[in-house]
Amino acid sequence: MHNNLDINVHHITRVEGHGNIVVNVKEGKIEKLQWQVPEAPRFFEAMVRGHSYQDIQTIVSRICGICSITHSLAATKAVEAALGIKVSEQADKLRILMHYSEQLQSHTLHVGYLAAPDFFGTPSVVPLVARAADAVKTIVKAHRIANNWSDLIAGRTTHPVTLIPGGLTRTPTEKQLRQLQQTLKDAVPDLKKIAEVVLSVAANIPKFERPTEYVSLKQTTPPTYTFYHGGVTSNDNKGAVLPIEKWHDVANEYMVEQSTAKWAKWHRDAYAVGALARFNNNAELLSPMAKDAAKMFGLQKDCCNPYMNTVAQLVECFHIVETSIDLIDQLLVRGLKTEKVTSSPKAGKGAGCVEAPRGILFHEYEFDKNGKCVAADICIPTNQNHANIQKDFEKLLPEILDQSEKDIRLKLEMLVRAYDPCISCSTHFLDVQFVR
Amino acid sequence: MTDQTHRNDVVVIGLGNPLLSDEGIGVHLIRKLSENQDKFPSVEFIDAGTGGMNVLHLIANRKKAVIIDCIKMGKKPGTIRQFEPTDVQTTKKMVHFSLHEADILRIIELSRQLGECPNQIVIFGIEPESLELGQNLSKTLSDRINAYLADICNELC
Repeated sequence: MHNNLDINVHHITRVEGHGNIVVNVKEGKIEKLQWQVPEAPRFFEAMVRGHSYQDIQTIVSRICGICSITHSLAATKAVEAALGIKVSEQADKLRILMHYSEQLQSHTLHVGYLAAPDFFGTPSVVPLVARAADAVKTIVKAHRIANNWSDLIAGRTTHPVTLIPGGLTRTPTEKQLRQLQQTLKDAVPDLKKIAEVVLSVAANIPKFERPTEYVSLKQTTPPTYTFYHGGVTSNDNKGAVLPIEKWHDVANEYMVEQSTAKWAKWHRDAYAVGALARFNNNAELLSPMAKDAAKMFGLQKDCCNPYMNTVAQLVECFHIVETSIDLIDQLLVRGLKTEKVTSSPKAGKGAGCVEAPRGILFHEYEFDKNGKCVAADICIPTNQNHANIQKDFEKLLPEILDQSEKDIRLKLEMLVRAYDPCISCSTHFLDVQFVR
Repeated sequence: MTDQTHRNDVVVIGLGNPLLSDEGIGVHLIRKLSENQDKFPSVEFIDAGTGGMNVLHLIANRKKAVIIDCIKMGKKPGTIRQFEPTDVQTTKKMVHFSLHEADILRIIELSRQLGECPNQIVIFGIEPESLELGQNLSKTLSDRINAYLADICNELC
């Protein structure tokens, strides 16, 4: 047991954006324990005001370099809800296929590049190449497949260009979809290889549990492990599913002193979103290979170990690939048609929701009669997780206080990383010094 | 899908967020360069936004990669400087990867370790004047767009 402990992690690494961990223990008593987010607000909601309903998805795609497709889809759904725009079955399926590509991109990135170094005990993926070259190459290959998949459907790996209110500007050919389907079938052995590698170091995943409220989308008609359709549910909501328009009743955003980002709570004082939340609310609807992967890791419904979120992401990779192979079959059987998309402005307000790789995401917009945006509200998954990270810290630290300072620090950092947070993604600029 | 085996040997990648004034200079320049695609049939121009790690795939197995980015170099705002990855060291406080802050120099290092790095990598860094919210470049940078384009095109000829 530490009588005195002072941990101050400024800018925790291998998470997106800037977050700090502050631990202060004096004479065995925890005096300060905080998950802090010091980043400046980014005012995207203000930025879209005055813009046409047709431009919203393009602007908000720049919120994030990882979940740009997700932000675009949430925005497009919200615009369509506000203006009463209908989407064809073909466009709907292609959008889901587009969305899956980004889930796979993000999950392979997080599992492979950001979380794996923790399990292997290396500071980053670069030195991991020397220790597990085959594993890194397989992860890079899977990530590359997902990127190319986004290129095909979204028109670009990041910041999609094919998405517009009412549908898509471009339809892939049947040949392209068949090629994609074959690529995904060929990727299955690679995913199994990645799962085996992660399993080989799974003993390094900390064993920690805290009963938690898990919030995610839930689709009942037809029952689907959903990332795109459905309403909002939680394990505290007794099976009830709230319509998306009621998302404010779920998030209940509020401000705290230690963070510039908003926090959220629903039935308890915090809740979690992300792959583990989706798994806990929908696991019985996973594809067969995904269920097998979950079994490999002993991941079961009602798991409340936040570190297992990374495993849940890996499980979802199998579901995404297996379900997409089937989705392409459905598209090919009905035949692809070139669709002309038209829409016209009118006044209205609407909400859209999809699952980002790191959890449920809400967008809401209001437009005037000319289709100009007059109000916007965006609630990102990472903000919904901040309070839960703090609550996890408060249970975890007393349990590990007898460990070395290095181990305590690592476990707290790993906990934050397990949530795959995306604290800010709009700036990336490089600072350099010339060495000659 | 993009066929990795039949890609152009030369890629020009613009990085940045065009919603943050000069931070988006790489994206602005790629848009301009793409308008003259017919003059560079063997070059692929890509707006990579803040795609971070995706740059690893965009440069993989090419002969040459040209990267255009807003970079704080301690120079006068608007200054463009051409250099190679070995000419600089990052001064970022983040010593390892994050997603979006994926440091381009570390991505190049990973690419090298994977054995798929282009033989030649040229980086054009442009010193920003403003990183405020906004879709327009500062006057200092926008006045120099043609000079930047000339420097980059010169590298592609």
